[in-house]
Amino acid sequence: MKLAKYTKFREEKFGGVLFETRSEKVYCLNATAAAVVREAIPGLAEDEIIERLITRFQGTPEDIATQARGFISNLRQKLLLED
Amino acid sequence: MSASLPNYSSRGLESPAGVATESSQLRAPLYVAWQVTNECNLACLHCIEESGPGKAFRDELNQREVFHVLEQLMEGDVPYISFSGGEPMLHAQFFDMIEYVCERGSQLKIETNGHYLTPDNCARLALLGVKAVQVSLDGASRETFNRMRIRGDFDCTVEGIRQLRAAGVPVEINFSPTRFNIHEIGAAVDLAFELGACSFYSGKTMYTGNAVKTWRLLAPSDDQYSAFFATLHAKIVEYSGRMRVSFHEIGLLEELRYRLRHPAALLIVLVKLLNALPFVCGDFRRDSLAEIWSNFQRGWEDPRVASFVEELSVNPAKTSSLHQWVYL
Repeated sequence: MKLAKYTKFREEKFGGVLFETRSEKVYCLNATAAAVVREAIPGLAEDEIIERLITRFQGTPEDIATQARGFISNLRQKLLLED
Repeated sequence: MSASLPNYSSRGLESPAGVATESSQLRAPLYVAWQVTNECNLACLHCIEESGPGKAFRDELNQREVFHVLEQLMEGDVPYISFSGGEPMLHAQFFDMIEYVCERGSQLKIETNGHYLTPDNCARLALLGVKAVQVSLDGASRETFNRMRIRGDFDCTVEGIRQLRAAGVPVEINFSPTRFNIHEIGAAVDLAFELGACSFYSGKTMYTGNAVKTWRLLAPSDDQYSAFFATLHAKIVEYSGRMRVSFHEIGLLEELRYRLRHPAALLIVLVKLLNALPFVCGDFRRDSLAEIWSNFQRGWEDPRVASFVEELSVNPAKTSSLHQWVYL
């Protein structure tokens, strides 16, 4: 998984921003969402991303996995992430 | 760090801008629109920048200064930049500037009149990896296009677009409506699609720049605009999923009022709040990107900016003073 061709990510104090430059839409991310995107940038698979998030965040692995998968699915639907 | 729900909010950027209400929280701009020169081979009737042959600004950045600005933009991690003009392809360091930006991972759009899109130049643009080239195509025939774009040539522009597509460069088309080309909007959208464009942009032509002097020749009637926007709405549906048709129906005054709430910026040598405003919030020869960004945030809150916009509502001719710059 990786950022889509026309998507740029930048870290900010509040988390980060995703900028889809074709539609010129900006998505402001909270810190947790930014962490998910940061893990996606090196090209990890979804399961690998979730494993890394589980080691970094407090909470049950199930909750983290559920939330992260939902978020990743949403980013895919918006064509911000691609395989 | 505890796990909170991953969340985001979205904001559309309808023109070069920061992020609406969150812009003050950003560490640098997300989009920089850079008018790299005011020199142009054409002298278009509606040009907001009053560009033309021999119209380069006397104090345009030299090569060292250009790359100093680019260096700061890259260090600031500005993800999206556009080069416009004037005609940006006339700038002596045009391709070197593109190479500098694209090699460092920012996305770059070129806004051109399309008269220098030779096969070699298009191949270079493709090789360097520009995000898109936006070409102004103000008409679907040489009669209207050439009337609007003084010294311009419709066939040359269309051929340039074909060369871009042959080289694999994404193409966007921009169309400015006037009294004498507005009836061609449907044909212009069709032509853009036939030429392989991925996006088509339009909106009301602004009463500023050269248009102030030529308005009686240019200004479409309300009825013309009604038909124009009806056609564009239909074209959105017709080309859904194949080409993005995008336009704004608001005029200059509404645009400026919107920008009071959703700031935008234009970079020349000086940094203006917006090309349709005279206010300058920084000078890259003297100020760092961080200082200009800070000034930019404050600039939009300066009462002189809001006053200027409101004065426009009673005196539209005030747009003729947009190039008499006011330092905030």
